[in-house]
Amino acid sequence: MTEADTAPTDRPRSRRSVLAGAAGLAVATSGCVRQVRTVVNREDVDQLSVTIVTRPADGDREGIRLARAIADVLEAVGVDVAIDMRSNEEYLRAVLINHEFDLSVGVHPGGTDPDVLYEALHSRYAEESGWQNPFGYANMQVDELLEDQRRADGDEREAIVADLLETVAREQPFVPICVPEEHRFVRTDRFDGWGEAHPATRLGYLELEPGSDVERLRTAHTDARPSENLNPLTAEYRDDEPFLELVYDSLATERDGEIEPWLAEDWTYDDGTLRVRLREDCRFHDDEPVRAEDVAFTYRLLQDTELEDEEGTSPPPRYRGLAAAVDAIDVDDELELELELDAGEAVAERALTVPILPEHVWTERAESATVPGVRVAQGTTEAITTDNVPPIGSGPFRFESRTEREHLTLERFDDHFTRREDVALPEPPVEEFRVGIDPRSTSAIELVTGDDADVTSAPLETYVLDDVEPDPETAILESPSWRFYHLGFNARRAPFANPRFRRLVARLIDKAWIAEDVFDGYAAPTATPVTEEWTPAELAWDGQDPATPFFGTDGDLDVAAAVDAFEDAGFNYDDGTLRVRR
Amino acid sequence: MLVQVLVQLAVVVSLLTLLGIGVVVGRYRLRDTRREWLARLRAATPITVVLAVVLLANSVARQVVPDLSWMIGWNLTWAIYDIEGQFILWLQSYETPALTAVFSFVYIYGYVFLLVFPVVAYFALSNTRPLRELLTAYTLNYVLGLVLYTFVIAYGPRNMMPELVDALMYDTYPRYQHLTRQVNRNTNVFPSLHTSLAATVGVLAYQTRDVYPRWAIVAIPLAISVAISTMYLGIHWAIDVVAGIVLAYVCVKLAGVLVGRWSLADRFDVRNPLPFSRWR
Repeated sequence: MTEADTAPTDRPRSRRSVLAGAAGLAVATSGCVRQVRTVVNREDVDQLSVTIVTRPADGDREGIRLARAIADVLEAVGVDVAIDMRSNEEYLRAVLINHEFDLSVGVHPGGTDPDVLYEALHSRYAEESGWQNPFGYANMQVDELLEDQRRADGDEREAIVADLLETVAREQPFVPICVPEEHRFVRTDRFDGWGEAHPATRLGYLELEPGSDVERLRTAHTDARPSENLNPLTAEYRDDEPFLELVYDSLATERDGEIEPWLAEDWTYDDGTLRVRLREDCRFHDDEPVRAEDVAFTYRLLQDTELEDEEGTSPPPRYRGLAAAVDAIDVDDELELELELDAGEAVAERALTVPILPEHVWTERAESATVPGVRVAQGTTEAITTDNVPPIGSGPFRFESRTEREHLTLERFDDHFTRREDVALPEPPVEEFRVGIDPRSTSAIELVTGDDADVTSAPLETYVLDDVEPDPETAILESPSWRFYHLGFNARRAPFANPRFRRLVARLIDKAWIAEDVFDGYAAPTATPVTEEWTPAELAWDGQDPATPFFGTDGDLDVAAAVDAFEDAGFNYDDGTLRVRR
Repeated sequence: MLVQVLVQLAVVVSLLTLLGIGVVVGRYRLRDTRREWLARLRAATPITVVLAVVLLANSVARQVVPDLSWMIGWNLTWAIYDIEGQFILWLQSYETPALTAVFSFVYIYGYVFLLVFPVVAYFALSNTRPLRELLTAYTLNYVLGLVLYTFVIAYGPRNMMPELVDALMYDTYPRYQHLTRQVNRNTNVFPSLHTSLAATVGVLAYQTRDVYPRWAIVAIPLAISVAISTMYLGIHWAIDVVAGIVLAYVCVKLAGVLVGRWSLADRFDVRNPLPFSRWR
C-alpha cells in the first residue's frame, strides 16, 4: 500500500496530480531506501583487534617476552594487537575472576595428574570465577571424557586420558607452549636434603636436615604476595609456593606424584567410598581440636563458600575440581568419616590433598563481603576475599608475623603430629621459617651467596642461570616441573570460540624456538598440558609439534602460508588485515 | 643489605657535599652563615615543615596508591610503547660497561647529591628566597607527582622489553634494587620524578647562576645526565622524561609565584629580620 491508494478522489486535479507525483516519488524512494538499507545495514567487518593480558618483566620476565613474540606473529598475519601488562594479582584477577581478556599469556599451575584438566576445561565451570575453566571453553565430548577418566582406574583410565588429550590437542582450548625448568639456588653448608622432595611442596622443606646450631631457615622469595595475603582460597595471591601447605595440613600429601597419608592416619577406598580415619589429638594453632567435623566443613566450603544447600552459587576460585569429586560426607565420630565420591581411586585420593580449614574460624566467613557504598559482585564471600591474617591451620608451622613486601615469618608448631615418636613422617627441621621478600633473581642469588638466605624459594628466572656460579657452600637445585606456559583464549569472545581459529593461532607459535630463545634453553616445548608420564606417544614432542606444527622454521613465520590457511578456514582479508565478525 | 647500601649512600653524598661546600660556597658565605643561621632557619622552617609532612604523607600514600591506581585502571604502558617504541633501544645500543657504571652512579649517588647539595648551598645565602623556592618546588613535585601516579599506571621499558632493554643497573648491581624499591613502585614511571626533581634543581641553578656560577656548571649537566640515566638504564620512557621536565617547569614557576605572594614565614614569624627583595 502506498499513500496514493488512500488519497481522496474528489480533490481538485492539481492537488491530485501533486499527490500522485508524491506517491510516485514515494514508491520510487521506498524501493531505493530498501535497497540502501539492505546495503547499509550489513555491518562492516572490522580488522580483528585483540588484547593480550600478561605480567610485566618484574612479575614474569619470560611471560612478557612470550607475549611479545605472540603479538609479533599475530601482527604478521594481519591482527591488530595490544599488550596489557598487569601486576601479579591484577593479571590473575583479570583472567580468572573477571574474564577480562581476549588472550592471556602466563603460567598454568598444571599438576602431576591429568585430572587437573577436569577443573581447567569442564563446561560446567565456564561461568565460574577461578582456576576452573577461565577460558569459557565448552565441548560436550571433552566433558564426557573428563568425567569418564575420573571414574576409571589403571589401564582403562590411561586409555581414556589418551583419548582426552588427543581431543584437547585437536581443539586447542588453550595452547600449551612449554614446560620451564625449575631451578633454585640453595646453601648446602647449612642444610642437607635439598631435593629429597619437591621444593614447591611442604615435604621439600620438612625433609631438610639442618646442620648443628641451625635453628632458622631463611628463604629469598621473589614474589611479594605471600607477605600480603595468606588465604588459601584467594586465587590472585597464590602461586606455586609451599608456605600455606606448611600452615595448613591436608588429609593426604603428595610425594613424587604418589598420594600418602598426612593428617589422615589411613583410609580405605571401596567402590566410590573413602573411609578416612584422622590422627588422634591433633590441634589447630589456636588449640582447638581438629575434628572430623572440620574436614566435612572444609569440603562443604570448597563447594560453596556461602555454605548453602544447593551447590555452586559462590564456589571458591581454587580447589574447585578436587572438591567437586566429593558427593557427600558422613561424619561417623570425632575422628572417622566417610566420603562418597564420584571418582575412581586415583582421583578420590587426590581429593584428600585440599587444606583442612577450622570450622570455628571460617563459618562466619560464609557471609557476603561488603564495602560500604559499593555494589559487590554476587557470590563474593568473606571466605574468598579475606587476607586471612593470621592464618589458623593445624600444620607443622604456625604464623608468627609478617610485614607487607618484606617478610612472612612462621614458627614451628610444637604440637604437630609429625613430632610424635610413633609417627614416621618428616617433622619441622627448624624453629623459625622466614620468607624474606626480594624482588629479583639476581639479588636473591646474592643473598644466598652472602649467607643471608638459604634458598631462593621461587624458581629462578632463566636468564640468570648461565651466570650462576655455585661454590662449595652453594648449589643449583633442579626440580621436575609440571607448570607450563600457555596461551589462553577467551572462548566467550569471537573468534576464539572457533576451534579452527585457535588451531591456526597455535600454528603461528614456534614453541621450540621460544624454549630456546625466550627461556634460554631452560624449557621443554610441549604439545600437551600433562607430564611426560601421561603423554601418549602420538603427542610426544619429536622435534616439532605433533598436533599443531609451526608455519615456518627457526622462529621465522611463513606469513603467506599462514594467511592462506586462515583464508582456507573461512576468514577474510582486506588490505592485508584479517577481518573478523565479532 | 639495605643498611649497607644506605650507609654507603650517606657517606658518598656527604663527601660530595663537603667538596661542594669548599668549591662552590666558599669561606665568606660560611662565615656569614655562622652568624645568621638562626634567622635563616626561621625563615625556612615553615616550608621545611610542609615538605616534611608531604614526604611523610607520601611514604604512607605509596602503600595505598598502587591499589587505588588499579581500581582506576588507567594503564598507559602500551600507548607509550606504541608511540616511542624504539627510542630506548636506540639509546641502549650505545651501552658499554663503563657507561653503565657511570649512569648507575649518577642515578643513585649523583641524584641524591643533586637534591641535597642545593639545600646546603642556598642555606649559605643571606637571601633565603632561593632556599624557600627550592623547598617549595620539591614539595610541589612530590604532591603533583603522587597525583599523576595515582591516576596513571605505566611500566617502564625494562618491564616491557626485558631482553632488549637490560635492567642494566639492577642486574649489574643487584643491591641497588633494595634501595629503589623502598622508594618506587614499578607502576610509577609516568612522569619520571627523578627527572623532574633533577630538572627543578637544574632550572633553579640556572636562575642563581650569578650567585653560584660554579654550581650552575655542575648542576645543569648533572641534571641532564640524571634524565638520560633513567632512560639508559631502562627505567623510564622518553615520554616520562618529557613529562618530568614539564612537571619541573610547572613546579618552579608555581614555587616562584607562591613564595613571592604568600610567604609562610611572614605569617608565622612577624619578627622575621630579612627583607624579601628579589634575590638576583
